[in-house]
Amino acid sequence: MSDATVSAAPRALYVYGVVSEDTDLELSGAGVGSGDVRVLREGDLAAVVGDVALDEFDEEPLRKNLENPDWLAETARAHEGVLERALGTTTVIPFRIASLYGDEDNLREFLRANRDSLLESLTRLEGKVELGVKAFFDRTAAVSRDAAGAESGSDYLRRRQEEQLAGRDADAFVIDCARTSHAHLAEAALDARSNRPQAPELSGRAERMLLNGAYLVERGDTQLENALRELEQGFGTQGVTYELTGPWPPYNFVPQELVGP
Amino acid sequence: MSSRDLQGTAGSLPGAQHPAQLADVLERVLDKGIVIAGDIQINLLDIELLTVKLRLLIASADKAKEMGIDWWQNDPFLSGSANGGSLEGRIKRLEREAGLADGDSSER
Repeated sequence: MSDATVSAAPRALYVYGVVSEDTDLELSGAGVGSGDVRVLREGDLAAVVGDVALDEFDEEPLRKNLENPDWLAETARAHEGVLERALGTTTVIPFRIASLYGDEDNLREFLRANRDSLLESLTRLEGKVELGVKAFFDRTAAVSRDAAGAESGSDYLRRRQEEQLAGRDADAFVIDCARTSHAHLAEAALDARSNRPQAPELSGRAERMLLNGAYLVERGDTQLENALRELEQGFGTQGVTYELTGPWPPYNFVPQELVGP
Repeated sequence: MSSRDLQGTAGSLPGAQHPAQLADVLERVLDKGIVIAGDIQINLLDIELLTVKLRLLIASADKAKEMGIDWWQNDPFLSGSANGGSLEGRIKRLEREAGLADGDSSER
């Protein structure tokens, strides 16, 4: 796997995220590009990093690779996988995919320059994880409720009218359900974000996604799950299903941009 | 179909029963998390462009409007932080710059 040509090729430093300084993480071949993963320490901070080949991650090849769905999926899963391994034992500030430095010195400079805000985030996120909740609404269940049986022309028109009314009701219901669900879950969490619902092509489910929320909770805390069960009992009979994901590294609860040196 | 969804989906950590769905992973690693200005220049701008392209591909605004799921855009309660608004603006700008969007009138 690591023959002479590979190890001799120019390398860059791939940064997965920043972690508490006492983190130990050594992963052999489990990083992006099947690379090794290690911890780089700088003062009272540490970063989870790995070496990647520039012929895969330099500007030109990276641009092409990002357009390749298979490469993107594999790299995204590897990035997430490494952060989840870290999350199992320590506090994690997740970075976006393909955050790259030319060498260790440049990354150390970044860590020194952003020490205060990184430490602030680490303190705020200590012992916390992100949970995702998606809610789906099966519209046909609401519309087809009383549209059964043989129908004449006027029956047809009446049914169409009812369907249109039901459609409008459904929209109002979806908005109300999304707001109520998000508010109820947010109450059970330390922080909350509501993201753009995924289209069916992305979610892989035919039903309409009405909520795509992220919630910051203490690791192991069950309040959010309890709140979810309550919502299920309330909205479950009205065609709404919920899906819980995580624990995730707190992607939704870190500053979006830090400017390096 | 309802309560079973709730059980068994938790946990993308090692030992979890179901691996996380790719859509949920991509949404996070492409669009959330810290963006740093590393010294390989692709990581900031092009990732955002890629995100924009993916969105246009699989969750385009037109498509969303068609499906009636654009309400979050104008709902201050659900659009989360003020941050979300500026990101939206940045994506719109990137879309224009990249020539990926040809105005609001396009209907597919």
